[in-house]
Amino acid sequence: MTDTNSFEPRIVAFLCNWCTYTGADLAGTSRLQYPPNVRIIRTMCSSAVDPVYVLKPLMDGADGVLIGGCHPGDCHYQTGNYKTRRRFVALQEILKSTGIDERRIWLRWISASEGQIFANTMTEMVGAIKELGPNPARENWTI
Amino acid sequence: MKTAIPVENGDTLTAVRGFLQKLLETGTVEALFVPLEVDGGAILPALVTDPERTRLANPLAPVMPINSARAVSALTGKQAPARIGAVLRPCEIRALVELVKLQQATLEGVTLIGIDCPGTFELPDYVVKKRSGGASLAEYLAGAKEGSEPGLDGLQARPACRMCLNPVPEHSAIHLELIGVDTAQGIPVTMTDEIATKLGMTETRLPGAEGRQAAVDRLVAARTQTREKELAAIQAQMHANGGLASLFATCIRCHNCMTACPICYCKTCLFKSASFDHQPEHYLNAARRKGAVRMLSDAILFQVTRMNHMSASCVNCGMCTSACPSDIPVGTIFSAIGSQVQAAFEYVPGRSLEEPLPLVTFRESEWTEVGEAK
Repeated sequence: MTDTNSFEPRIVAFLCNWCTYTGADLAGTSRLQYPPNVRIIRTMCSSAVDPVYVLKPLMDGADGVLIGGCHPGDCHYQTGNYKTRRRFVALQEILKSTGIDERRIWLRWISASEGQIFANTMTEMVGAIKELGPNPARENWTI
Repeated sequence: MKTAIPVENGDTLTAVRGFLQKLLETGTVEALFVPLEVDGGAILPALVTDPERTRLANPLAPVMPINSARAVSALTGKQAPARIGAVLRPCEIRALVELVKLQQATLEGVTLIGIDCPGTFELPDYVVKKRSGGASLAEYLAGAKEGSEPGLDGLQARPACRMCLNPVPEHSAIHLELIGVDTAQGIPVTMTDEIATKLGMTETRLPGAEGRQAAVDRLVAARTQTREKELAAIQAQMHANGGLASLFATCIRCHNCMTACPICYCKTCLFKSASFDHQPEHYLNAARRKGAVRMLSDAILFQVTRMNHMSASCVNCGMCTSACPSDIPVGTIFSAIGSQVQAAFEYVPGRSLEEPLPLVTFRESEWTEVGEAK
């Protein structure tokens, strides 16, 4: 078992090209400090993230998955993020009813100018996931 | 218009066959999708153009080899090539409504002929009983009259049917009643006036029609109880330690559930593509990480992904359970998940053609807290 004190969550983040990815980039270029627990994958829109790509890392043992998109109303493709929101709600419902901890998946609207908010979100998420402890799927070979 | 098919000598099936033949002969429909009997006791869904062939039709046989919504999808595509009549069960009609909304079928030029469904049995069980001279239709229809759970010489109906709350079809242009009526005397039919005129049928009220609603209510009440009990049991299993993995421990990832599912329409499923064909090193790394790795990888991922992709439209037909070679209660699991998801979006699959699918629509004002920092 992983010692909770030394537990460093592994977080996979799917960030939309137009807002959150650029926001993360801004956090980097602004030299803002945030925990290095996140592996970022850039997607063209948060709505391009099929639930399967959120589930795959969770089942392989990632401790958390973040989806980042433009604020509602600001989607580069007009309405992608509204659809993301519905899909995310459905995914949460399904995780809840299947007994998988839905607190491991996060959705956040972070704009291109919100580098600080991206850094804060990562700090907040790493803290929350540390409290949840390691993903049981890390050790469950039957999944 | 409320009318009735007259039945002679208590032979309900012959009367239904005669009615179907008339639909073709009068040109009300040019082709009829209906299950036909074949030698050996099996029932095959078929497209019939020769009125004579309706003498083999048996839409009353309590089996459902496929969810025929898929067949109607194949027969209509974007535009039906002729006036097609489709004899369907309530869950098939509901699945068809979903497929229309998924742009996989059309109801333009399609006459839906819905028949009350008292419940169905597993196809192999039915064929065995039929071959040995059992599976009496008269008994089945007598049970339907009482609104009681049907039996097949000691066997119970399919689990999905025992939990079915929709034994009465909706959206049909022609509706044949079986539940709560004495079909040995006559079959009450509701149809549009236009079709009635074509068929030369007139307003008819059969005696004893007042018992129908009570019988439907009785059946639905009993099934509501079964459904609640079964769904609670599945929920408990899913929330138990290692629940999901143990529920699907016997899954051999054959994809039968997906193949049998009327809603899973994708021509190339992600799970049949190379997306999850990993390099050999991937498995080794996974094994090193977890200590061991199930070498039928992504079985649970497949199931939970399917829940995400189709559970909003799940019509609880239970074809997945019937198709599962490992006896996993797939349909009950998906009913449990589906009911949660559908409740969240206040969506009832198959209810309305106008109601948009929950995952392709949105309202700006909903779930405004989702995605915002807490």
